[in-house]
Amino acid sequence: MAPAATSQVLLSPAELSFLHSSLLLQPPVRPDGRAPNQFRPLVAETDILPGANGSARICFPDGTEAIVGIKAEVEKSQWRANLSEDGAHLGTGGGDVEMEEDGGKPQEEASSHGNGEMSWIELSIEIPGFRDDDPLPIFLAAMLSEGLLAGEELKDRLWINRRFHWKLYIDILLLSPPLSYPLPLLSLTTHLALLSSRIPKLKSEQDEDPLFDDDWEASLYLYPKLPTGKRIDRPPITLLVMAVGSNIIFDPSKEELAVAEAVLAVSVRESQRRENDTSGRRLNLLSIRSVDSPSRLTPSGVPNTMNTATGGSAPVSSQDAVAQRESIDQKGVWNPPRGGVKRALITRIIKLVLEPNGVAQEVMDGLNGVEV
Amino acid sequence: MTSLKRSYVTDSSAPNLSSKVYVRSTRSGKVQKIVRELYLRQDIPCSSKLCSKCLSRAPTDYNNRVLPFVLSERPEGTKSAPQGHYVIPDTNAFISAMDLFEVESAFHDVIVLQTVLEEVKNRSLPLYHRLISLTKSEDKRFYVFFNEFRSETYVNREHGESINDRNDRAVRMAVKWYGEHLQEAVRMRSKSAKAPMIVMLSDDRDNLRKAKAEKLVAYSLRDYVSGLENATLLLDMITEGQEARQGKPEKSEMFYPEYYSLSKMLTGVKAGTMHQGIFNVSPYNYLEGSVHVSAFERSLLILGRENSNRAVSGDVIVVEILSKDQWKTPSTKIIEEETVNKDDNPDEEDGEAVITERERRALQEEVKRVHSKNVEGRSQPTARVVGVIKRNWRQYVGHIDRGSVKTSAKQSRAQQTVFLVPMDKRIPKIRVRTRQAGELLGKRVLVTIDSWDRDSRYPVGHFVRSLGELESKEAETEALLLEYDVQYRPFPKTVLDCLPSEGHDWKVPASVDDPGWKGRRDLRDLLVCSIDPPGCVDIDDALHARPLPNGNFEVGVHIADVSHFVKPNNAMDKEASMRGTTVYLVDKRIDMLPMLLGTDLCSLKPYVERYAFSVLWEITADADIVKSEFTKSVIRSREAFAYEQAQIRIDDKSQQDDLTKGIRTLMMLSKKLNKKRMDAGALNLASPEVRVEAESETSDPADVKVKKMLDTNSLVEEFMLLANISVARKIYEAFPQTALLRRHAAPPKTNFEELANQLQVKRGLELRTDSSKAVADSLDTCVDPSEPFFNTLIRIMATRCMMSAEYFCSGTQAYSEFRHYGLASEIYTHFTSPIRRYADLEAHRQLAAAIEYEQLDPSLHSKAKLEGICKNINVRHRNAQMAGRASVEYYVGQALKGRVCDEEGFVMKIFSNGFVVFVPKFGIESAIKLRDLAVPEPESTLDYENYILTISGSKNAKVELFQKVKVRISDVQEESTGKRKIKLGLL
Repeated sequence: MAPAATSQVLLSPAELSFLHSSLLLQPPVRPDGRAPNQFRPLVAETDILPGANGSARICFPDGTEAIVGIKAEVEKSQWRANLSEDGAHLGTGGGDVEMEEDGGKPQEEASSHGNGEMSWIELSIEIPGFRDDDPLPIFLAAMLSEGLLAGEELKDRLWINRRFHWKLYIDILLLSPPLSYPLPLLSLTTHLALLSSRIPKLKSEQDEDPLFDDDWEASLYLYPKLPTGKRIDRPPITLLVMAVGSNIIFDPSKEELAVAEAVLAVSVRESQRRENDTSGRRLNLLSIRSVDSPSRLTPSGVPNTMNTATGGSAPVSSQDAVAQRESIDQKGVWNPPRGGVKRALITRIIKLVLEPNGVAQEVMDGLNGVEV
Repeated sequence: MTSLKRSYVTDSSAPNLSSKVYVRSTRSGKVQKIVRELYLRQDIPCSSKLCSKCLSRAPTDYNNRVLPFVLSERPEGTKSAPQGHYVIPDTNAFISAMDLFEVESAFHDVIVLQTVLEEVKNRSLPLYHRLISLTKSEDKRFYVFFNEFRSETYVNREHGESINDRNDRAVRMAVKWYGEHLQEAVRMRSKSAKAPMIVMLSDDRDNLRKAKAEKLVAYSLRDYVSGLENATLLLDMITEGQEARQGKPEKSEMFYPEYYSLSKMLTGVKAGTMHQGIFNVSPYNYLEGSVHVSAFERSLLILGRENSNRAVSGDVIVVEILSKDQWKTPSTKIIEEETVNKDDNPDEEDGEAVITERERRALQEEVKRVHSKNVEGRSQPTARVVGVIKRNWRQYVGHIDRGSVKTSAKQSRAQQTVFLVPMDKRIPKIRVRTRQAGELLGKRVLVTIDSWDRDSRYPVGHFVRSLGELESKEAETEALLLEYDVQYRPFPKTVLDCLPSEGHDWKVPASVDDPGWKGRRDLRDLLVCSIDPPGCVDIDDALHARPLPNGNFEVGVHIADVSHFVKPNNAMDKEASMRGTTVYLVDKRIDMLPMLLGTDLCSLKPYVERYAFSVLWEITADADIVKSEFTKSVIRSREAFAYEQAQIRIDDKSQQDDLTKGIRTLMMLSKKLNKKRMDAGALNLASPEVRVEAESETSDPADVKVKKMLDTNSLVEEFMLLANISVARKIYEAFPQTALLRRHAAPPKTNFEELANQLQVKRGLELRTDSSKAVADSLDTCVDPSEPFFNTLIRIMATRCMMSAEYFCSGTQAYSEFRHYGLASEIYTHFTSPIRRYADLEAHRQLAAAIEYEQLDPSLHSKAKLEGICKNINVRHRNAQMAGRASVEYYVGQALKGRVCDEEGFVMKIFSNGFVVFVPKFGIESAIKLRDLAVPEPESTLDYENYILTISGSKNAKVELFQKVKVRISDVQEESTGKRKIKLGLL
């Protein structure tokens, strides 16, 4: 599932090798001079589409830019077997429709907890130059919705009552060609759009046909705001992390990705479940997915031993070439990375992401600065 | 990165743009966020004649003219503002005192802000329409200022501000702007002049306080009105609103259950657990209501105050069915609010229960009756009201209950609460606070209901105006017109402007080349005549007949060509479509079209040429139609007969001219047509029709006569029916989707059940109801050899079991539903009276298009529009009939005033504490209550199965259904009300 076409970098093996070796240094030297966990600056704004329930736009300095619009629609829920007894609420029996007095069930039952369904969120990605059934948009959409659906909160908030729910349409539009792997861009934009999303305030009670307050000002944030302006929780974000040797590099640029030994997409969410949590913030890891690194498709350099011009002997076949390369480990000659990621490395990545004042928190703080 | 956000007012670079965001829920359940962009402008005028700046900038119409400015240069002054003032009311002011603003003597130069107008529209559509009509009235000088579109007065909603607060702020902003703007305008004219004061009116304390803080002139309605002339009268017209209620301590006791929330009701109605319908109250028993819902064939009963839960007759309500053990049979008692709750104290609210002891007793007896007899099969489902979807409150005419007035001294200006007893028995008493109780006693009074809260037994309303003395002709006539919602104001100027400029001198153009002649056939040489009731001035129809060489006859029906004068969609057409029909009262006619048309230019008067729309048939001697033809024409009527005159002419053997022969031919054919129709199953129904003969000088009623039916009546009727049917076929053929037709649905079987049972039990007669033919035939057998009137009585009662005929648009019904049950015709429309019925006018237009005389107006192509028209004219038609009947009733009462006579009557209906008697001679129908027969009230037992009421005790008698009784007719003045009523006594 490598998004090969996205980041075909036109670099020579020698350049790739140089890039690779500078990233291997301790500390690594990145082409744009960033620290390994430093993100590129970004510009963001929210609520740019007046007609949508929520929207956001982010521009990265490399010229990539994305817009996310979120639209919520009321939909009739499908009848579910485990709710059938409760459905008797609206049975046609006699004149008994006193909903409040019905059975005196604990209030919990009618609450939204655990009632959300996967199908209530639909996410679509549009990338210029790609068909919507191309692997890239589909793969990206899968990764993003995986993160959104991993937590129950969002789904459950879409629950209106036993008979109705909101259906959320998240439309992601990449405005620029996909210069670098657009996952973090899209994830952050979606995050902001969800933060700015509001749904009309419900006026009806219980299982009635929903009726909403027609004042938009009265509408509620999908991610509720506390009176202090803080949020109880926020939507997840998905970060792109790459490793070169033992160096872990965040927010890789297109060139850096071309020499990555491992690329991971890490979804995290910040939550504040307990009221009196003094630390205030907790980060949860939602998912990790390894992304096939584009570096595997880069052309390899030819070492002197295999180059007839420098007195070497050319390999007889391509198999022979591979076999010969296996045995050489020569500095300065680019060799596309092979093999997997060490478990210890993944552990370190997770730690770096989740630790207090770690990378994820820094990103969140950065996004907090955007006015929603 | 440049922002993609639309920048609004806060941004100075785009000062003329703002937006409005709201949530819209569609009927299909979709919920949408709607964003509307607002473009703010600076050329919206203040419309004060003092301001020249606005005049120069105001937008112009396509004639390059500026709309004339409305607000006067020299507005009325007040004590605090001798230089004059303009008034800017806020929404509450309009909501609570619309009647006040409609007063002629006060409230001129009023600025209606757009913010306020929109809020009024959201809160109450009827009030909005009244406000709009006020702004159209020239001498009231109401100006709608679009403050939301003018950049200086536009107000952005602040964060956390409620819509109400924002709108209040917008009002204050406009008040402020007007003040400064006029100041400037006046200063430009002369240095010394003072600008009119801008006065804000509000009932919202918070708004008043804020206005004061902003140094604006603001009054509460009451304070402002107190400073006007006629303050006491005007003060009564303010809604009994929050102010009064706020003063009262919170009461713990609630008389009525709370309504369900709207969403709960809608869900229930959708799920079928609740039902929606229109609330109807029985005219005999004010505690019994019924509601017809689509889910059941029979109406649901709603018994008692608690179950009817503040619904007023006519409201659209939602009901819940009660459990089966609470089902009841309809009442057999006459219960009148007046007598049950005679001595209620209008002020006393604390001791008040929803159901008074007496009411409870009355209901108790009902229940007893149900239990004692095992009438399982007859009991009807009952229901209770759980909410009101739409109030259909209007203005009600009534009189003040004398018993509720404490001090009737005319000078006393103390405010007191009195009861108003509405003329319509189905409407509950209305509690009204007034300062002029003494003056209003004995007068017809118009009031409106403002609210009905859970803690009040009766609705609360306020005084609108007095119509005049009870029983005076003017007051009673106006009361009637108001009760039946008949538009009786003179035609406005815009309507009169649509009349031909020649006025009465208009003539059919002499030259046949004139465009008026285009497509018209010259039928001036035909011997046409009209036959109408005596004294008829609006002659719709004329007829002719002549033999053809082949032995057949040519018969023509010529109808006034009203559609030539009334073009679609002009002001006159709109007014006519709103009025729907001409209303005939005993001494008055309220025209649908201006006099000039109705009684002159359109009227097919004798000896003059008139435009007509003619239907021509070739008919065989057996009255079979060979062919029919429709054409616009010009005719010259030779004579205008009254029915009687025509009859005499036919019978007079010495008359042998062609005109008389023509009428004889018509007569011969009409009898054959009539026979055919009767054979097909047409019903011969009857309703009590009497005519009031008035003294010619004073038009006071002198005598009452039952209308006579002559052969000539039915002559005209037959040919009109024939014309209507022919036209219906033609327009349906031309416009299968949008033809305006008239149908009479077959009544459901259940309607006849009661009557059939009564006939079976009392006379052993059978009433078969499977088809109109069966009904017609079995009605013919319902005769009592000893009593010729019996048959008519049964026909009257049968008529009441029928559905009412209605206009409809052909696309809305299947062809099989077009049937006219009473006339036994497959298809029917109204074509023959375009002067007095709007439906006929529309049929004319459609027929004209069908014969390709002219293009059909687009409004007649639209099913939705036609449905709207049909709905309106159906209501108007019914109201006109009821108003006419009520007028006859009133005049019969007046004619009998002071007389006592003994007459024969027939028992039509039996209750356990009274019975209803119909007196054919005067066409009156009235209940005789046992209470009135003797003192003390005699005992009675009702044999429900056999319809026999046995009276014993202080008076012994036995009353049966259909029985002929001798009654004494007298009139009494009721003590409590000062109202004259016809009273029947059993002899």
